[in-house]
This record gives sequence, structure tokens and C-alpha cells, in this order.
Amino acid sequence: MLTTMALSTHTTSTGFLLPSIHSAPPFFTQQPNPATEAIVIEQWTKLILSYARHRNLFYLRVEDAETGGDWDEVLRNDRINRRLPPTHLSSILAGMVAKNVATYEPAKQTRSVLLYWRLPEEWAEVLHQWASTTGQMNTIMTFYEITDPPVNSPLTNIPLPLLRKAITILAKSNRAQIIAIADGEGL
Amino acid sequence: MHRRGVGLAAFDRKQTTKRFEELSNSISQSQVTHLNNQLAQFRTALTHFASTHRDKIKSDPSFRHAFQQMCTSIGVDPLAGPRKGGWWAELLGLGDWQYELGVQIVDVCVSTRERNGGLIEMAELIRMVSKLRGVSGGSITEDDIVQSIKTLEPLGAGYQVVDISGRKMVRSVVKELDDDQTTILGLAQEHGGRVVEDMLIQRRQWSRERARTALENMLLRDGLCWLDDQDEECGRAYWVTSAMKWEA
Repeated sequence: MLTTMALSTHTTSTGFLLPSIHSAPPFFTQQPNPATEAIVIEQWTKLILSYARHRNLFYLRVEDAETGGDWDEVLRNDRINRRLPPTHLSSILAGMVAKNVATYEPAKQTRSVLLYWRLPEEWAEVLHQWASTTGQMNTIMTFYEITDPPVNSPLTNIPLPLLRKAITILAKSNRAQIIAIADGEGL
Repeated sequence: MHRRGVGLAAFDRKQTTKRFEELSNSISQSQVTHLNNQLAQFRTALTHFASTHRDKIKSDPSFRHAFQQMCTSIGVDPLAGPRKGGWWAELLGLGDWQYELGVQIVDVCVSTRERNGGLIEMAELIRMVSKLRGVSGGSITEDDIVQSIKTLEPLGAGYQVVDISGRKMVRSVVKELDDDQTTILGLAQEHGGRVVEDMLIQRRQWSRERARTALENMLLRDGLCWLDDQDEECGRAYWVTSAMKWEA
């Protein structure tokens, strides 16, 4: 006899509050009814972006549904013995790309996405802010200096493709430029 | 909206004369005059009562209920009348109040329809409507919802209160629930939302085909349940969302 479970939220060991829908066994199954599945995808999208922001994670791969790792707290629920199958995750990722909250990165494949829990436009602003508050306007910096500064910034560990996008956006308003340098790229 | 029947609100000036013409055939004129006076007095008294207690009627559900009971017992329909909402409603602002509640009910039902297939548990509906109304809305009871849904009837949108295994639900889709679905919903409520074919076969003596068809229809055709294909016992379980309880 299956004990009925009240669906409730749950705080993970990394301090993330999982929504109560995550305690519902059917949440992990790809729904055959398209209207229902649209809701499921919407909820997973919110959850994934939220978690990525919480843990500062940028990439999500279909294989993350199978292997242990950074995404376990979200892609499985051991309390109810459910996990998100790779096929379902793949479908969710496609949905996120279609909504422009993620992009396939590298391009021309569909197994790995770069997440936009902050949009490139927002990253551009963060970069600009950081540069001006750390007194680095009008100086030349390498990408490395931005992604791995001595003092942690919101840009720490930002993936290069995303950083480039942010810089390109700043360049459009004449606030930055990418200069190709022989031994590494910089701006 | 037309409400038939003897209601005090139905006796407005135009109609009064006509009615009395009919009455006068059987009752003498003095009796008619007397009746007319009585009604006028009663109307005044009731008007006074209503405006004095207007706020209480709006904010206190048990008082509101008692008031509505009283109206019913003396044949007064607060919502009836020649003008939309009736003079009662205008006096109390009850028409607006009812209307606002009706809109809120529709709002909640429409926004949760995809999630629960157009069937929502009364308690859940009350909770969400109360949230919409906020603190200043006063408390809303099941009775208020039932009354309000009656007024939604003319919309033809199929709003109805249905009883499933003793639990009141509000249905907001035109489609009738067939008996098999009602049975499944009842079972789901007893088991925290989860139903499997075996339950229907063992507890209701259904054939496997009947169980499968009914469940699949609810899933695919009607969107009334979600599928769990990792179910440990049966491999395939159906979760009726309207019987599941989850926090926001």
C-alpha cells in the first residue's frame, strides 16, 4: 500500500528550496498530453534556471541526467525514487532554447546548453558595472582577468562564449571592444 | 437575468398595478389597499435593515448566510428585479459583490484549468479566491461560492458544483463527467491522487480494457491527470491533479 505523501517543498543540502511540485512523482515523466507537458516544461525551466543561479552553474547537458554531479539535487528526487530521464531532459532543453533562456553551446549540437539565468544583455550591464567600480575602465584586459579576478566578482567563472556575447553587446553601444592579441584574447 | 416567482423586488411600480388588477377580481378593493400598504411598509423596513447592516453582510459570512436564508424564506431574491442585479443589489452593493466574486471564481478556474482539467476542489478554490481578494475581501465560504456559481449559470460556461465521494468540486468545463471518470476521481481522492488499473479491477470489478480506456481518456483526451511511468508497483500510474495537494 503506497503511503500517500503530502507534496511539500524541501531544502537541499546546498540550501536550495525545491518547490513542492518536485515531490510529485509524475513531474519526472514526459507527459503524453501536450497541454500538460507544456506546464511540466515550464515548471522544469523555472526550476533549472533558479538552481543554476543558486549554484552559479552555466552548462546543462543531457548526460547530467544520468551521471552524478552538480545537478543531482534537481534532476533526481531520491525521497520518492524518481529521476528525470535523458529523453525528457533533452525535450526540456529544446524548450528552453526555443524560449531564449538557453542556447546550444557549442553550436550545431543538441546535447549541451549554456543557460541564461541572466540574459546576455544583463551580463553586459554586470560587466560594465564591475569594470567601472573596480576602476578598470579604459584599460586593456584579457578575458582571463575577467573570469578569474583576484577578488571574486559576479563574473567569476563566466564561460567565454557568454562573456563574448556580453562584450559584443557593450561594443554595440561603444562601451567595449574585443582586440585580438597574439597570446590570448583581450579587450 | 430573469428570476421568476413572488419576490418583493418583483413588485415595482409598473408591475404592481397589473398584478393588483388581477387580484382585485377575487379580493375586495380595501383588502388590496391594505396589502399594498403592508408591502410598502415592509419594503421600507427591509430597506432600512439592509442599509444598516450592509457592511456586516459583506464581511461576515455567517451573517450573510442568515440574511440570505431570511430572504429566501420570505420569498425575496436579493439578486432579482427589473434592473440588473435588482434594487436589493444596488442597495447593498451586493450585486457588485456577487459579480466580483463570480469574476474571481472564473479567474481561478481558468488559470488552473490546464493543471487540473477543469475540475477543482472546493477547498482549493476557496483558498485561491481568498488569496485574490486579500485581507480586505472578508472571508468567503463554500456557501458563497455555491451561490455565486448559480449566478454564473446564464453564462453557459458549464460551471457546476459536483460531489465526488463526499468531496465538493467545482467543474468549469462544458463536458459532463461520465460515471467512469467520477469513479476514478473518487478512488483518486481516497489515495492521495494516485490511481492504477489494478485498483479499478480489484476494487470496482472492472475489466482491464475498461480501466485502461477510462484512464487513458482522462489522461490524453481530457487532461485530467498526469502520468507517472516510474511507478514501482505498476509501472504506469495516473495522478489526478485535482486530488493532489501541493503548496504553491
